[in-house]
Amino acid sequence: MAKKQIPLIDTDIHERVQYKDILEYLDEPFKHYMKNCHWIQEKHMPYTQPATAGVDRADAILPDGRPAGSDLAFMQEQLLDDVGHEFGILTGALDPSPSSMHGWYEMAAALATAYNDWQIEHWLEKDERLYGSVHIAAQDREEAVKEIERVGSHPKMVQILLPIDDIMWGDPYYHPIFEAAEKHNLMIGMHHNEPPVYYGKWPRYFIEWHTLISTAHMKIIANMIYNGVFEKFPKLGLMMIEGGFTHIPHLMWKMDQQFRDLRHEVPWLTRKPSEIMKEHVRITTQPAEELTKKEFMSLIDQMGTDEMLCFSTDYPHWDYDSPYRALPNMEPELKEKIFSENARAFYPKLPDKREE
Amino acid sequence: MQEQVVCKTSELQPGEIREAYFGKQNIVICRTQNDNFYAFMNQCIHQGAPLGKGLLCGATTDESNPGDYHYCHQDEILRCPWHGREFDMKNEGRMLANPNKKLASFKVRVENEDVIVYK
Ligand code: FES
Repeated sequence: MAKKQIPLIDTDIHERVQYKDILEYLDEPFKHYMKNCHWIQEKHMPYTQPATAGVDRADAILPDGRPAGSDLAFMQEQLLDDVGHEFGILTGALDPSPSSMHGWYEMAAALATAYNDWQIEHWLEKDERLYGSVHIAAQDREEAVKEIERVGSHPKMVQILLPIDDIMWGDPYYHPIFEAAEKHNLMIGMHHNEPPVYYGKWPRYFIEWHTLISTAHMKIIANMIYNGVFEKFPKLGLMMIEGGFTHIPHLMWKMDQQFRDLRHEVPWLTRKPSEIMKEHVRITTQPAEELTKKEFMSLIDQMGTDEMLCFSTDYPHWDYDSPYRALPNMEPELKEKIFSENARAFYPKLPDKREE
Repeated sequence: MQEQVVCKTSELQPGEIREAYFGKQNIVICRTQNDNFYAFMNQCIHQGAPLGKGLLCGATTDESNPGDYHYCHQDEILRCPWHGREFDMKNEGRMLANPNKKLASFKVRVENEDVIVYK
């Protein structure tokens, strides 16, 4: 029996470039550094790889051995056509990409430009279902803003994937980037790449790091809210990608309670932090904990809204969530919100629902 | 009793997994390095991944102490290609992290060159 198709808006799909394929998009001398000097991106993760095929689903590696996520036709067959995706948002983020580069500002900026051009040409313009993320090297803010100006108006670029650094995103350092984002109707995406969950160092075990990614997300949300980012940039939205979602009610309660006591310190907040979150922050579901329907519904209830969660698969990574199996059964109206409408309402550049 | 020849032993090398059909059921046959054969439903009990794309391997055991690994189960573990959950083939396909859960399994015997699955 053919399985039922799900017209999903998938908020986290990883396309992957290979060094040899990005070369033609790189300007000199950066092409020279990659091609002739064999530059490869620094690696930080000290662990053994988590599953049977590194960080990928073993069945997503191409039959000819190319890495998972590197071929559109294969992704179409295994994911988009198989599930019945309406749209998918690409989030890149494995090397080479500027998302986890530190230092060498010039290389990072050149790589961001090359990556965006490659993404547009090979993915966004090849499949109408796919939408993209603008990659930037935020350590060079002026170059980052230039890059947003250069590709941000592309009709299929829906967010900026902001690299994680030791400057928190509520810091005024990022204001020019947020201004450019607003100008182009782009949201801000945080995808864990190498978040400093242990005060800038890696924990001893992968399982610790992977368990605690949500803490890095909570820090950024609290920091942006208390620093008044959403007061200053009312059109801005923040998509928290791949941190799970069960920590969200805790954060909302904690911030509201603190706000009642300490409002005087952040008087620019005109609403409770949880209200700001409900309006500006969305959360992708993966990696979803295994919840019963009752537990899941209770969490939605605790959030006080069913409009914050957006389903994501994280294809083709090892901790992929199946749209068929990852969440408990739910009422059709709620399912429609979580599997498509919440994401559609969040990203201004995603098209309206097609008339059947 | 339902039984069926699913492949020849020569079609499955030691350490390999092969997908097959047992009646209408999509199954995996696993052949360990020691030439033991096992058969399971080709669908992970977690989120349904195709186990045929998984890996036969060993595993660290609960005899390990903090900071001191003990590795064993050589050749007895079927590891899922997605989230990597480990299923102990020798122990009815039970999940190492939660032995209350197990894969749906089938019996296997080898006669001459035939790998026969039966219930
Ligand atoms: S689907 Fe097998 S471990 Fe998740």
